Amino acid sequence: MNSFTETLYDSYAQVLRVDELLFEEKTDHQHLVIFHNAAFGRVMVLDGIVQTTEKDEFIYHEMLAHTPILAHGAPQSVLIIGGGDGGMLREVTRHRFLEQIFLVEVDRRVIALCRRYLPNHSQGAFNDPRVTIVIDDGLHFVQTTDRRFDIIIVDSTDPIGPGQALFSFDFYAASHRVLRPGGVLVTQNGVPFLCLDEMVNTAAHLRRLFADWHFFGAAVPTYVGGIMAFGWASDNPSLRQRNLDNLQHAFTQSGITTRYYNPQVHRAAFVLPQYLLDAIGKASRG
Amino acid sequence: MGRVQVYPSSHGRDYHRLLLQHGSPLLLLDCHQAEQQYHQLKAALPGVNLYYAVKSLNHPLLLSALARIGSGFEMASCGEMEQLRQLGIPPQSTIHTHPIKRDADIRAVLRYGCTTFVVDNADELGKFQPYRHRVGLLLRLSFRSRKARVDLSKKFGCAPAAVGGLLRQAVHLGIHIKGLCFHVGSQCADALAQAAAIETCNEVIRRHHATGAAPISYLDIGGGFPAPYRNEGLDIELYCAPIRKALSALPDHVRVIAEPGRFISAPAMTGLTTVIGRAVRDDVRWYYLDDGVYGAFSGQLFDHVRYPLVIFSDSHRRFNSVLAGPTCDSIDLIAENLRLPPLQLGDVVAGRLMGAYTVVSATLFNSLEKTRIVALPDACHPIEPSRTALCPTATV
Repeated sequence: MNSFTETLYDSYAQVLRVDELLFEEKTDHQHLVIFHNAAFGRVMVLDGIVQTTEKDEFIYHEMLAHTPILAHGAPQSVLIIGGGDGGMLREVTRHRFLEQIFLVEVDRRVIALCRRYLPNHSQGAFNDPRVTIVIDDGLHFVQTTDRRFDIIIVDSTDPIGPGQALFSFDFYAASHRVLRPGGVLVTQNGVPFLCLDEMVNTAAHLRRLFADWHFFGAAVPTYVGGIMAFGWASDNPSLRQRNLDNLQHAFTQSGITTRYYNPQVHRAAFVLPQYLLDAIGKASRG
Repeated sequence: MGRVQVYPSSHGRDYHRLLLQHGSPLLLLDCHQAEQQYHQLKAALPGVNLYYAVKSLNHPLLLSALARIGSGFEMASCGEMEQLRQLGIPPQSTIHTHPIKRDADIRAVLRYGCTTFVVDNADELGKFQPYRHRVGLLLRLSFRSRKARVDLSKKFGCAPAAVGGLLRQAVHLGIHIKGLCFHVGSQCADALAQAAAIETCNEVIRRHHATGAAPISYLDIGGGFPAPYRNEGLDIELYCAPIRKALSALPDHVRVIAEPGRFISAPAMTGLTTVIGRAVRDDVRWYYLDDGVYGAFSGQLFDHVRYPLVIFSDSHRRFNSVLAGPTCDSIDLIAENLRLPPLQLGDVVAGRLMGAYTVVSATLFNSLEKTRIVALPDACHPIEPSRTALCPTATV
């Protein structure tokens, strides 16, 4: 394999040169490929779609982890659905005040292979004593668990593969049940410029379930096509409205350093272009 | 010409040796022959991208050989898709052409990475609504051909008059239809039906283009390229002349693809069977072979084909004869009303052009195992008598 061509769309694709094929396997759940590319470092592909690269993963992981945690202010427990590569876990475990972190991944091979081939993603986070790894279908876990969480981060694949159920009403409803009062759910919803349906469908579900919901965004180069949309849902509307001073204080208190996230970016990420506001039925309000 | 060619017994030695080595019955796979067929068709249809129809013969060595020389692949099921995946075939070089799919099929094919699908009705179009951002569809038209051995426009395809409505529905749903396709039938006697279908598609494409809508930029002319089962010889260059003429009239922006199966795979396998029993009934000599219509000769039932047969004998005497298969069923007859030289137990009866739609539709009736396929190493070429310079001593 000299090059990898992503197969997300029929008439448009990104091509990455494969400088070294590190691993390829058809797991019980999906087709996994890990290779090295000069521009993006190690790249993990599931079912023909780039999931994460060493070079740009920080944008995605920092935004999906720090945005809800710092907005919440005092979370104790975080549930990560998916995220078998360990990058999200790495960012979440940097928050020292968290007491309990659950990671529910459907494909145990993804964890094993990413610990081996993408060690810079997890950087030892899998060994953090606060972390519990559960190998389970995300929908099944939130429908059956007795535990409650302050933050749920859905770090999923796209809705075609094993991540399908993580875009369903049932999943969002069960997540709502599992959240502590005032908790926050964040989700990945693809690149809306090319695949608007993912965002629109999630918006329709969140609207029915949460007192406050919206989307925020960040441009992640290997998620081609413009900004990626992240869903935000909570029954506490004030969390999304926290002002800059407030966020700055929380950020300073956390003591973490970042490469993409900062409180200004946090605030600005919730400002959406008009075509997205129109698409989610928020044409006239924020 | 007659169905059975008789060669001098000395010419059957290689076959005997192979049967001794591998057991009987046997199918000899010659990937090199398939590659030559691919190149011939490619030369006869310049500029047309070929997607080999996996259904006709799905042997991994054949698929790999075709992939190496640049062939694409046409698949119609998730099983075929899984075979292509396991061989590391890049999904960009595959198309999925079954007009009727379950949602689970669509998802599995998308996850493999193939984004080209075929639809021929409103229901099927609707199934792509959730995946509309990811796919490019081909709309299948129906053109009935009375000259095709297998009419593939009866079961599938929309009438040309329905195209406009489906294209409008697709636009309404936000689904991209990137091309038209058709399949006039299999084992076509000539290419006139295909040429006529191309002409109709050309009209549809130009009419659509004139409306200012997004262009239809693909035309899939299907398969149907024949194999010379009657020993009649086949000049594929000449056969394709009407197709080339029709294609030359297409607008420049239209890319053309085809889905040859039989033409490539039929000559790639030779069947070898052994006479395992004899009887004389009503003055007719019955020879029972160890393969039949429930096995590698299944195409005689499902594909309506009679394979050219080869036997080896030095006798000039001829008797009324029947070649029968090994199962208990009386339908299991390979050939009747033959005038054959006397055959002995252990003699070889070979079937030529047994690559396409043979072993893929074989059954396990009578708990007989499926016929083993042995790939000929390149060094063995040519082993089939018809490909040596020798002529048969007789055809009957």
